[in-house]
Amino acid sequence: MSRLAPVVIDNGTGYTKMGFAGNTNPQFVIPTVIATRDSGAGGAPNVPKKPAFLSAGASASSHLASKRGIEDLDFYIGDEALSHTKTYAHSYPIRHGTIENWDHMERYWEQSIFKYLRCEPEDHYFLLTEPPLNPPENREATAEIFFESFNIQGMYIAVQAVLALAASWTSGKSTDQTLTGTVIDAGDGVTHVIPVAEGYVIGSSIRHIPIAGRDITAFVQQLLRDHQEIAIPPEDSLDIARRIKEQYSYVCPDIVKEFKKFDQEPHKYFKQFDTVNSITQKPYTVDVGFERFLAPEIFFNPEIVSSDFLTPLPEVVDQVIQTSPIDTRRGLYRNIVLSGGSTMFKDFGKRLQRDIKHIVDGRVHQSEDLSGGHLKAKPIDVNVIAHKKQRHAVWFGGSLMACTDQFYSISHTKAEYEEYGPSIARHNRVFNSLA
Amino acid sequence: MILLEPNSYILEESLLQRFNSEKKEAVDIKLVDFDGVTYHLSTPTSRSELVLSMAVPCFSELVAHGAQDILNREYGAHLLPETEQGYHVSMKFDLEKTDQDTALSHAAVLSSAALAKHVSLLKRNVFAAPFEKAFKEWETELEQPGTLMTVHYREEEAIYIRASEDRVTVIFSTLFNEEMDRIFGKVFLQEFVDARRLPSIQNAPQVLYSNREPPLEIRHLPNLKDDESVGYVTFVLFPRHFEHPEVRGKTISDIQLFRDYLHYHIKCSKAYMHSRMRARVQDFLKVLNRAKPDRTGTAEKKLASGRSFRPNPISSRPTV
Repeated sequence: MSRLAPVVIDNGTGYTKMGFAGNTNPQFVIPTVIATRDSGAGGAPNVPKKPAFLSAGASASSHLASKRGIEDLDFYIGDEALSHTKTYAHSYPIRHGTIENWDHMERYWEQSIFKYLRCEPEDHYFLLTEPPLNPPENREATAEIFFESFNIQGMYIAVQAVLALAASWTSGKSTDQTLTGTVIDAGDGVTHVIPVAEGYVIGSSIRHIPIAGRDITAFVQQLLRDHQEIAIPPEDSLDIARRIKEQYSYVCPDIVKEFKKFDQEPHKYFKQFDTVNSITQKPYTVDVGFERFLAPEIFFNPEIVSSDFLTPLPEVVDQVIQTSPIDTRRGLYRNIVLSGGSTMFKDFGKRLQRDIKHIVDGRVHQSEDLSGGHLKAKPIDVNVIAHKKQRHAVWFGGSLMACTDQFYSISHTKAEYEEYGPSIARHNRVFNSLA
Repeated sequence: MILLEPNSYILEESLLQRFNSEKKEAVDIKLVDFDGVTYHLSTPTSRSELVLSMAVPCFSELVAHGAQDILNREYGAHLLPETEQGYHVSMKFDLEKTDQDTALSHAAVLSSAALAKHVSLLKRNVFAAPFEKAFKEWETELEQPGTLMTVHYREEEAIYIRASEDRVTVIFSTLFNEEMDRIFGKVFLQEFVDARRLPSIQNAPQVLYSNREPPLEIRHLPNLKDDESVGYVTFVLFPRHFEHPEVRGKTISDIQLFRDYLHYHIKCSKAYMHSRMRARVQDFLKVLNRAKPDRTGTAEKKLASGRSFRPNPISSRPTV
């Protein structure tokens, strides 16, 4: 029997992307949320009940079914979980990219495999992802769950940033298939800038930016609230802000000029957004104005929304590369890769490339001047690569990777797990040649 | 989620997305279902023509028991005479046509949802063939037990079905790769037998479970694996389980997923055990932490270089 397609699951803080390798898009993108019957909502650890026959005074009846409930099977994940929030307690098992609640995560995987993907885990290899700087204990615990509970054939845990790099190979702009580059991963909760050299994440130079999709939506919501004549119903406000952000926003080269353009030709630039009130079903129109270009602008001028984080994204990228080892810097500048939904704004890549180029050229000039004109620097080329698969870049990279023949040779198999234990997950075989 | 759905959710979603989207996109999706079934959804010729193909490892056996008739009955209008290379069943959907329908009325949107649901039952319907055949045989009022039908639904596992004068017997062989799974399976199936004593489910089919030892009905077959890892589950279906057409459909759906159901629940039980173990470790750690010496009063120690440091209290082990 030929091997069945490996399963690729990318568990993110906000959304889980899952599907079978070989496809270009994940089959399911569902919120990483689980709704359980546990009463302990709000952070308290939900200790499952002990089977009644272990506690004193068990009834005399002979079969287990009457002694133990089936609460542990009574839960929902993803969109279904969100629609059951009234009767169930819901929780997000992943915080800041790392898994916090293993009980919930194990059950989340259980249902994603059997209900959503509908496959027998014993027949498949799995490719999972981890955030950069994931503690090795977490990787071990993941391996434990997948090998012990699900009896999978083999697994590989890949770093999200590396997969995003691999995904960028499909872009026409990337010339050589290199695993060196800077990944800008802007999701829903947090934005990371991660330098990767030859597939190895330079952990000491990673920077986090507390501005991401959620903040942009909140900013758009605020703008709408400020300038709108008609009142947007509060229950729809967040959703409308999100949709306006996704449909109309773009990055402008210069804010001042853009304001002028809007003033001169308002008809061309101001948009109308038609929608219906979710409760009364009455249609109404929302005017979309400056928020079109102001929303993504908070990446480049964070002082608009934040009072404690003031470094623009291009500067952060430059700092990240400047703190990386000197022999990797040219490669890192040459290959700056975007990933995640919040990098999907029109012309985002162009603006970023221009700004970074500006910083780099400025510095090169300065050092040339300091040398008194004796030294001539070789120009550094800066490339920001945007591509079609950007939104689910990590998943797509995983899907590409799981299709290669090497995938099976670098995965950890069940036999190895049984021989050496969960510690095999600490070791990544991609780097065998380096050791 | 206690029962597994008979239809493939992932296939239903993928189809529905194509049926309802206004933009025609080129599609090339490969999906997997239980029991080694694979689907291929593609638009080979034009963007408005969606072709769905399915490969089933044991298709020849199913055809021998009348799978083709069921396919013609259920999906006649959509079936393609030529199947795609490497697949056993191919179907075509004209998106233009469904598109017009959806524009017409709300009812049509429902119909495309119904169609997607119906198509996602493809695997279930193909696997229903031997069951339907057995039930039909029973209807002819057999004098002698009917033929024993075998479907090797997985590489080393098979379903055996035989109709008799007053019942239909279904036997599953299943393989447990792990010793732990075998024990879980045993307890679980024992529960099945016990639970039947409850007054509310007296009507459930009789279930027998044997480990290693094949049941009498199939003992004469050659090539039965004689190994500790093999288990046999026997269901005895009585007329009340398949006389009524609706009940019959449900019986077929439930029983053919039994193997996956069993393995799903073994995995769930393990997950339950793990969460109990984690809770236990947490409790023990609490007790251990109480025994920690109080270090607040310790004086700072000096290094030879003159710098001072505070000795680290015993750190608690990472808990997972």
